[in-house]
Amino acid sequence: MSALTGAGTLARLIVRRDRLILPVWGLLAAVFPTSIANSTVALYPTAESLRSVAEEAMANPAQLATRGLVFDASVGGLTAWTVGSSGAMLLGLVSMLLVIRHTRVEEESGRRELLGAGVVGRHAPLAAVLGVVFAADLLIAVLMSALLMSGGLPAAGSIALGLSLAAAGWTFAAVGAAVGQMTESAVAARGLGVAVFSVFFLIRAVGDAGGVDWLSWLSPLGWTLHVRPFAGEQWWVLALLLCLVALLVAAARALSARRDLAAGLLPPRLGPATAVPGLRSPLALAWRLHRGQVVAWSVGFAVGGLALGGAVSGGLEGQIDAPQIMEMIARVGGEDARPVDFFVNYLLSMLAWIVAAYGMLSALRLRSEESAGRADLVLATQVSRVRWALSHLVIAAAGPAVVLVALGTATGLGYGLSTGDLGRLPQVLGGALAYLPAVWVMTGIAVALVGLLPRLATASWGVWIAFILLDVFGMLGQIDETVLNIIPFVHVPWAVLGQMSTAPLAGLTVVAAVLTALGVVGLRRRDLV
Amino acid sequence: MTNAISVSGLVKTFGRTRALDGLDLTVGTGEVHGFLGPNGAGKSTTIRILLGLMRADSGKASLLGGDPWDDATDLHRRLAYVPGDVTLWPNLSGGEVIDLLGRLRGGIDAQRRSSLLERFELDPRKKGRAYSKGNRQKVALVAALASDVELLILDEPTSGLDPLMEAVFRDCVAEEKARGRTVLLSSHILSEVEALCDRVSIIRGGSVVETGTLVELRHLTRTSVTAELAHEPDGLTGLPGIHDLRVEGNRVSCQVEPAHLDELFGRLAALGLRNVTAAPPTLEDLFMRHYRTAPQHEVAR
Ligand SMILES: Nc1ncnc2c1ncn2[C@@H]1O[C@H](COP(=O)(O)OP(=O)(O)O)[C@@H](O)[C@H]1O
Ligand SMILES: [Mg+2]
Repeated sequence: MSALTGAGTLARLIVRRDRLILPVWGLLAAVFPTSIANSTVALYPTAESLRSVAEEAMANPAQLATRGLVFDASVGGLTAWTVGSSGAMLLGLVSMLLVIRHTRVEEESGRRELLGAGVVGRHAPLAAVLGVVFAADLLIAVLMSALLMSGGLPAAGSIALGLSLAAAGWTFAAVGAAVGQMTESAVAARGLGVAVFSVFFLIRAVGDAGGVDWLSWLSPLGWTLHVRPFAGEQWWVLALLLCLVALLVAAARALSARRDLAAGLLPPRLGPATAVPGLRSPLALAWRLHRGQVVAWSVGFAVGGLALGGAVSGGLEGQIDAPQIMEMIARVGGEDARPVDFFVNYLLSMLAWIVAAYGMLSALRLRSEESAGRADLVLATQVSRVRWALSHLVIAAAGPAVVLVALGTATGLGYGLSTGDLGRLPQVLGGALAYLPAVWVMTGIAVALVGLLPRLATASWGVWIAFILLDVFGMLGQIDETVLNIIPFVHVPWAVLGQMSTAPLAGLTVVAAVLTALGVVGLRRRDLV
Repeated sequence: MTNAISVSGLVKTFGRTRALDGLDLTVGTGEVHGFLGPNGAGKSTTIRILLGLMRADSGKASLLGGDPWDDATDLHRRLAYVPGDVTLWPNLSGGEVIDLLGRLRGGIDAQRRSSLLERFELDPRKKGRAYSKGNRQKVALVAALASDVELLILDEPTSGLDPLMEAVFRDCVAEEKARGRTVLLSSHILSEVEALCDRVSIIRGGSVVETGTLVELRHLTRTSVTAELAHEPDGLTGLPGIHDLRVEGNRVSCQVEPAHLDELFGRLAALGLRNVTAAPPTLEDLFMRHYRTAPQHEVAR
């Protein structure tokens, strides 16, 4: 039996299990750039207007941090700039999570053992999932390029954009393969994978926002942008990415050859034989289950805030000469608003989406505890459902607050260190905390779904993605204002600029409370399944 | 209160599946009650309704004198539950889970805890993800057995245990019974129920098809008889109440209904008995009788 025996069968099994996710994700990813290109054409019909957007973007360090450099002031160039970073995230993260889902999750659940006893070679599961994910990424690239070309964009650029995003998918699929071999639990594997992605993102962001070119070249997420679609394509960068993929896959293979099934590289440690006296309430249990995440996200956002806050505000004062951007700043923050405050707040508004994802993840813990059957164990004791739910929800509400404090403080520090004005720290912190009620609304949506439509709880992520897409197209002026109002984040005042209206914050808090209450009441009344 | 559990006409549907179809169940206080049925018969569903984790579509259920749904938290102080498929928190050690569940239930007997750990040969320092199915079950069992409760609800608690541990489990349940605790033991392991239970309810397709003490149930069933005769047997075929008759030379084996034992033995005696064994039906026989006619669509959950 060769090490790859059964890979084909396993690949078919993967395709079958993900027959819904794969096409939805693929279509979304493939159509996204074309719709951006169409919007760009509609919004900026002249070469002049294209140039001014490009200049505006290059002058905004928060944009540089999230999206990278604009390499060409054309429809293609701006499309590549708009989707380069988010597309790499969409393909990269999803590819990575898919690989972990079909390797580590399978092993952890013991289903892999079932298969391992049949005729399945040692490397077959890894090969199968990488094959499926690589093929999906490539298909997305082909479809994306075809769509872009049929929209009238140059062939070379369209293909380069498609391939660069597919390369991001391949790279992080390979990262997923490697981390999936290292840890014993799927949660840890996902955490490690997301951490690797975030570090690469941060390196690239700081490099681009701070104008340190070599830094961007240290990150594969910088490489994918430096393929430069529509801006004098650098095809050789793709070869660089392929080498990295080959390296990572070889590493994953070597790891998988060395360890036992279900074991990780890092050996499991023994725990205490008895519980500490404090572990005696559902809240104590919830804290025990969530605390690692609270710490990890806080540290991650502190590091990110420090680096990005510093990079965005570094040496910016008085350098802005793009009139459009001054206009925009004045519009949002008033005549005497400082550009650096604007950019820092802009950055916070982007990062708040990720904090919301963390809040939702914590709330969805209720559902995963339920479907795994662990909730049964707790609820068959004296603990009532409401008390059980609230113990998790207290932490799902407080966790994002802690993370936002970490983010705000670190960003304010970064800001202060690079401008020499540490006195703005409270204001930046306030700017970060202003997002808390909006984050709670997103968390509330997840809670409401868990309580009322438990089988659709993961659709929370659909809502999150839909809001992000609405926001992106809203910024391009493609969507009606009234529709945009359903996005909680548009109501958040830009507190770094000194806006501090409490009414929208109170309103968002009420909405969040109502959604949460609905969810808890639903949970109290329904069957646990 | 003489009945710890009393359930009548319980109905529960999941979409088109009718998981419980008018189920009746009575468990007296202080009794060890076997809840026996094939996979998908509705044992776990019944138990989850009794625990207030699910609500029945119709029918009445009372648990320790209260309503399983409305009084759930109060009732749970007085019972302990071991699920059929125990999942633990991957990063909590077994010992931590035992202590936590015990405390959430209102207290745990430290001495019993350590003696149970020893008897079940369980290492409490391992993390949840490192335990096998059997060991996860042991964690839940120790937590349940070490708490001071009136009622134990055990859903196929030995399905992952090896025979040695199964024996330990039997001893433990016998001790619980001696202390006057009530036990509802769902199982498809017949010998276990036979060894432990005062009364048995057999469930199939969502309703109880037979219930009673083992003696009562045996009463309803046939006895297996094997005999060696002095002469070639004849005239046995026509006897009433005889089943599965097999004749090999002078050897005869068959099953006979209790009401017709007299006639059979009268005839055998007339043929010259040389050797005879008559075995009471095992629970296995009982069970097989109900299973053989089980509808095809019942599949494991
Ligand atoms: N949450 C559920 N959703 C849908 N069907 C279920 C659910 N729980 C149980 N069932 C169905 O109800 C029937 C009884 O299941 P169960 O009570 O688990 O049986 P047992 O524990 O006796 O094996 C089975 O047909 C099973 O498929
Ligand atoms: Mg069951």
